[in-house]
Amino acid sequence: MKNILVRLAKRIFAGIIMVLVMASFTFFLVRMMPGNPVSAKYNELIMRGMTPVQAMDEVRVMYGFIPHQPLWQQYLHYLVQILHLNLGTSISYEGVPVLHIILDAAPWTIILVTTGLIASFIVGVLAGVIAAVKRSSPTGNAITLSGSIMHGIPQFVMGLFLAYVFTTLWAILPFGAPYNAALTPGFNGPFISSLVRHAILPVATYALSSYGGWLLTMKSSVITVLGDDFILASEVRGIKAKTRVRYIAHNAILPLFTIFALSIGFMFGGSLFIEDIFDYPGLGNLLLHAIDARDYPLMSGAFLLITVAVIVANIFADFLYSVVDPRIRR
Amino acid sequence: MSAEWPLKANTKAVGITIRDLEVVYSTGQGQVPAVNGVDLDIAGGQITGIIGESGSGKSTLAMAIMNAVPHPGRIVKGSVVVDGVGNMLTLDKESQRRARGRNLGFVFQAAQNSLNPLTRVGHQVLDLGRSHNVKDLRGLLRRAKELLHRMGMDADRVLTAYQHELSGGMRQRVGIMFALVLDAQVVILDEPTTALDMLSQASVLEIVRSIHEERDITTILITHDMGVVADLADRVVVMYGGELAEEGETAEVLAHPAHPYTKGLIQAIPRISGDLSQAVALSGSPPDLKTFMQSGCLFYDRCPERVAECQVKRPPYESAGPERKVACFRVMPHD
Repeated sequence: MKNILVRLAKRIFAGIIMVLVMASFTFFLVRMMPGNPVSAKYNELIMRGMTPVQAMDEVRVMYGFIPHQPLWQQYLHYLVQILHLNLGTSISYEGVPVLHIILDAAPWTIILVTTGLIASFIVGVLAGVIAAVKRSSPTGNAITLSGSIMHGIPQFVMGLFLAYVFTTLWAILPFGAPYNAALTPGFNGPFISSLVRHAILPVATYALSSYGGWLLTMKSSVITVLGDDFILASEVRGIKAKTRVRYIAHNAILPLFTIFALSIGFMFGGSLFIEDIFDYPGLGNLLLHAIDARDYPLMSGAFLLITVAVIVANIFADFLYSVVDPRIRR
Repeated sequence: MSAEWPLKANTKAVGITIRDLEVVYSTGQGQVPAVNGVDLDIAGGQITGIIGESGSGKSTLAMAIMNAVPHPGRIVKGSVVVDGVGNMLTLDKESQRRARGRNLGFVFQAAQNSLNPLTRVGHQVLDLGRSHNVKDLRGLLRRAKELLHRMGMDADRVLTAYQHELSGGMRQRVGIMFALVLDAQVVILDEPTTALDMLSQASVLEIVRSIHEERDITTILITHDMGVVADLADRVVVMYGGELAEEGETAEVLAHPAHPYTKGLIQAIPRISGDLSQAVALSGSPPDLKTFMQSGCLFYDRCPERVAECQVKRPPYESAGPERKVACFRVMPHD
């Protein structure tokens, strides 16, 4: 147990370093972008009639650093601001801190993707086990085929198809917006049920289009484990079928943990197509808007969030591994 | 000693009768008969050594006795009757499963990983007990400990260990423990010493011998090592190309090998003292798909004693003296 904690501490330390490196990278990337957005904004403000001092203050608030200072000073200033969780102010939503905007958008994406991810993981993994065990039967082939087809359909096609079928052809579900605008948001029945009804299609789109990936990965993992010596050994020792399935599942699911954890990390990049089709105000839409509006502080804030999320997810996966796989414990 | 290993009152050595057993492997080139029409009586209470080179079908025969031939192998016909259990090939699935582990213990090649890598050894002993409805699981663990201790291991450490924490020789002894812990009357060891160094090999064989003697069990030892057979086995069965070539009492067969293949095997053993060139390797290559198609003797291409008849007809597997059978035209039966 102590070993695991020491390991975890090391990983967290390494993670912090990685976040700082990525943040620095983002800083220099924005500085190197053609057109230099910082001084462009500075010049724009001056042309709007601001005094240089005013303009500089404005830009400092926006980007979290000051133009015309030596680069290293700007860089230090930026790092200090990040450590205070100050990501600057948005350009397109004038005056609103980037952190606010991101925190507003994040829950939509998190609810959407987490639900879809967990649903598709459970169904995909179970179907993958069946597809692997019955791989030479029509049932197994049908399951595998379903996985390949779902995996092959792009998210936006799946989303548009579901939207067409369930909101137009057979109008049983609402389309667009995360909830009925006529209702007061809060912890009340009608609002929550509206929230759930609006979430069904986007979640289903996400789940259906990631189901195939889980299924195919789990199937190939189970087939690999089925060929392992210890499975034959357990058969020859007369171990009960239920116990053997447990052995197989436990061994086969290990490689999927990494992919699962990374998916959680990348979730913070949002699910652009789904959010766009179903008008969900999540991180994907936010990032799209930031790029559209050349809102550099918002962009770098969103990128930083993705970075941190992926790194944290990696640490989590690593930690999880050392819990479930004794060979990794040291 | 015998107090430590309480034997059941009705202990009767269990024999196995194999009749006309045929196992084929479906490959890209066609159906390869890995075991072809084998008739074999395995006497209860003895150590029977089954010897042959790689691909001779000896391991497939062992798996067929358990009715657990892995894909793409398939048992086509025949019967394997285990005394007190029945025909393993026609029993219902549940009775087969109960017989495996409980009546028939199987020890895998040392090179194989026969344990679940994610679960402690002790836990897997419990899984085994629960699968076979053992009521007294504590007693089962105690027996496992006794066996491990008996094989010179730190039992408590082994039971709390994972597979990757054990060395090759330790894993092999743990495998033997799994085969014996439910008091199986028949133990099949498939190349138990392959991949072990000489010292571990000797100690594993010594364990097999002493446990065999103590428990009055039937032991089947699959190996490609004539030395192992000479050391341990009461009887030896020589396999070639999925068929039986010769069988008899070990001392008899070693002293007076009748089949040219058996002679070749014995000549191929290098001696520790003496010139290496005294060991004569068998010329030619093991049988392949083409060999199986030919109508004559499977060993024809490599046989130093072949005659014209051998190319036309396959020699029958016939009695050649007391407790002795050979498949060769050059051996005059009853002489």
